Amino acid sequence: MKLRTKMLKPFRKVPVLNAANVLLVENEEHLHSRLADIIVQNEKDVNITVRLARKLPLPVENQDSRPRIDLVVFIVNLMSERSVQSAEQSVRYLDSGFFLGKVCFLVTGARCLSVSSTRLLTVRKMASSLHCPLLFAEDQTSEGVIAAAVRLLGILKVAAGLVPFATGLSLNSVTHCILPSDLEQNLDSPTC
Amino acid sequence: MSLLFNIVISVVLYVCFTSLNMDDVARTLLQRTLRKIPTRKLEETIKKWSHLSRRQQQSLNYTQSKWILLQKLVSFCEDNELTVRHVSELEMIYCMENPNLGTWKACHLTDAEDDATSLDLMCFKEQFKSHLAELTRNVSIKIKKHENETIWIRIAWGENFIKPNHLKPTYVVHDLQTPYVFICNLSSKNKPLLYQTLVLATKHGSIKDAHLSGRNLHAVRDLLMGNYHQTFPTNHQRPLEEMSPPPTHPNIENEHKEHAEKRQQVACEAFGEGKVPKLETATYTLETRFRGGGSIDTLVDGEKPFRTVVQFASTSLLESLHHCVSSGIADAPVSPLLSSITQKGRNYFVITDKADR
Amino acid sequence: MDVRSAVSTPVTQYTTHRRSKSYGRTFDATSRFCYTPGQLTITRIQTSRETAKARKITDKVDPEQVALLVKKEWKLSYVTPLYQFRHTKLKVYSRHLSAFIMAEKQQGMAVEVGLEAGFKVTFSTVLGMAETKDDAETVFIQIHNKPVFASEGDAPKVVWSGWLTCINGDPEYLQALPPEFVSLPLFCSSGAESLTFLVKSWFERTFDCSFGSMGLDPTDLHWLAALWTGCHSENNIRSLKLVWTLPSQPPLDVSLTVNAQDAWDLWDKVRQQDSTDNSISIEEVKRFITGIESHFFRHFKVYLSAGVLKKVSTALGSVHLDGKIKITCSDYMTTVLTLLTECAILKMPILPGC
Repeated sequence: MKLRTKMLKPFRKVPVLNAANVLLVENEEHLHSRLADIIVQNEKDVNITVRLARKLPLPVENQDSRPRIDLVVFIVNLMSERSVQSAEQSVRYLDSGFFLGKVCFLVTGARCLSVSSTRLLTVRKMASSLHCPLLFAEDQTSEGVIAAAVRLLGILKVAAGLVPFATGLSLNSVTHCILPSDLEQNLDSPTC
Repeated sequence: MSLLFNIVISVVLYVCFTSLNMDDVARTLLQRTLRKIPTRKLEETIKKWSHLSRRQQQSLNYTQSKWILLQKLVSFCEDNELTVRHVSELEMIYCMENPNLGTWKACHLTDAEDDATSLDLMCFKEQFKSHLAELTRNVSIKIKKHENETIWIRIAWGENFIKPNHLKPTYVVHDLQTPYVFICNLSSKNKPLLYQTLVLATKHGSIKDAHLSGRNLHAVRDLLMGNYHQTFPTNHQRPLEEMSPPPTHPNIENEHKEHAEKRQQVACEAFGEGKVPKLETATYTLETRFRGGGSIDTLVDGEKPFRTVVQFASTSLLESLHHCVSSGIADAPVSPLLSSITQKGRNYFVITDKADR
Repeated sequence: MDVRSAVSTPVTQYTTHRRSKSYGRTFDATSRFCYTPGQLTITRIQTSRETAKARKITDKVDPEQVALLVKKEWKLSYVTPLYQFRHTKLKVYSRHLSAFIMAEKQQGMAVEVGLEAGFKVTFSTVLGMAETKDDAETVFIQIHNKPVFASEGDAPKVVWSGWLTCINGDPEYLQALPPEFVSLPLFCSSGAESLTFLVKSWFERTFDCSFGSMGLDPTDLHWLAALWTGCHSENNIRSLKLVWTLPSQPPLDVSLTVNAQDAWDLWDKVRQQDSTDNSISIEEVKRFITGIESHFFRHFKVYLSAGVLKKVSTALGSVHLDGKIKITCSDYMTTVLTLLTECAILKMPILPGC
């Protein structure tokens, strides 16, 4: 019962015309405000709002002021075990309705593979078991951050239904993360 | 009688090596000291030292390479027939200006006698010298006053028939009328001698380790005396903008804004803000029962302590810990073990489980 | 552009990658992904290992040679298989490498320095180190230098040493190599960086191989922490020291030194839960490390998982995440080198056609 009130639901609020809302979840708070700045500045036609969070569940007291969320982005820094753990825990507080094209994972720090190869695997397993896209971003350069923001903006517009003839679900079905088949058959049942 | 004998010996030895024209020890000490002083601070230090004539000082060109400069300085000192005592004064001047060259350990004087507060510099100086001379032979002591009431003591230790070693002196800093003493570079052999002398000279009953040490003397002192800006839980009137920059765009909203502000507040309460004392390490000896959580706890013998030593190290420990709390690497409320560093002015702790177990 | 697209495209095109042959031991689906420019390779990682057993390595190997390998910190690299390397031609290699170093050192030097005052290289085989018939014998290299102004009687000093080894290398991988290749995947070096560079470039030119730096995975450090702790009953480890670096500003180093007996007791308790005698599973290792981390968290409320485990050390040896190892006790050398050989093979890019 308690869990249910904490769950973030995709369709609780009525959508607003010509608006899109994205929730960026990042435990370290390194990247999300930089991404948010670029996302809101890059878009002139649509009214975009960005909500920043460290983790889910979101504070209950903000429930009324929070608009309908069209896309949830989990930013995972592979350099930190805690970042991966936090994403794993946060995912549980999303209503299943989100997983129909309203969630994606954004991974940073994948260049330093010596530290992060097992974590990358964990995130890939999680993304593929939830049928979500997995994006890679370079957070060390401003070009990398801009590129990541532009990609998120594209996905957000589709997820918010602002692109004619495209839906979040259809985009998701072609972009979601897949593990190579020989790994998949050994894969344990999804843990998240 | 034995005191008199000691003094005679020291005087004889002292005469022995002051009569030499700049002996090897003096030369080595001079070179080492000069090498330690960076060129930009050299001019100022030499001026303060005032053992070179005005003409000699003017003929020095501080834009020259340090090597040439050092050659020149050494030859001037030879000309002036300066001795170890003069040179050690130079070292002391530099050390007083830059007290970050070793690890300072704080000690706490306790059981003050009634007249301890009325002690003046001259009296202390005399007492200290005579008490130490009574305890050991062949020590070379220099006492200087620095700023207000701060006393600096430089001790070069010797032994029965060994001259004082000026290359490894102990420094002691004490503010009269405070119960704290700061010591740098003291060997365990000389520790009881110095402790006893300090207790007698400051008119206290005993002295104990304050469990605080650091490379920055000012930081150690400030932390111990609470002389720095610390936010207390009652202080709520700080403008919020100062703590977290406002969002750059009205369309960006932080869900955990209040949490972030709370964490910031908690961090300031525990570790101070702005310019905090620069401490390098904190060490904890844990002798508590194992608390690994989950199924392991039940396996491990609950009565036996799990002995570990934990050390936190950073170029500025309090800043690092502050950042850990404000960024969420550490959970709020702050662990009492960590906040004890500022609250108790210590950075060495032994932690055991409460006796009620 | 190429590189960027490889990094930022969604991972949906994993059907064309190559995969190394599977190992013949225990695995699960846990695999390690390794990017090499333009392609992705997957190799399996180990989920269980044998416990470290003390073995007098000096019974098999010349103690003098073992003494050269222990108590020194080695920088680790991987090496791809060496083309037409022969253990019988070490004398020739010594001459060639000496000449190569001299030639490189003299470049840009106005005055020619006599050969007698220069570098002398010796290659030698460390017989008996190999564990299986597929392992090639270990090769040890020393570079001596006689300073230019040294007097007649001065003995040349060892200025650099290094070795290439393969201990319990994956048999399937080794057997699949064409016969003209010798695989000594682990390269350890100690000495001036400039000499390491010269040695590497000579090897690359002579044996058509390539070197790469070998950072370790935190999991490798966990393994070694557990393996070394397990040795305490036979060989005193004095203490188990773990060092983390947390990304605060300025960075915070946290070191945790566990009393040897208490560390062993904990490890023993963790092991008893589900252990078949001489094999350790990754779950046990994880439980051990997590236990220590949570004990720390209960006291300080600081999340060590937010940072990186940088170093593990005991009296038996120490290992650094950047790829540095020091083996102090030769009795457990085989266990440590088996793990490192495996890492080296995993780190190696797998070239098309191998």
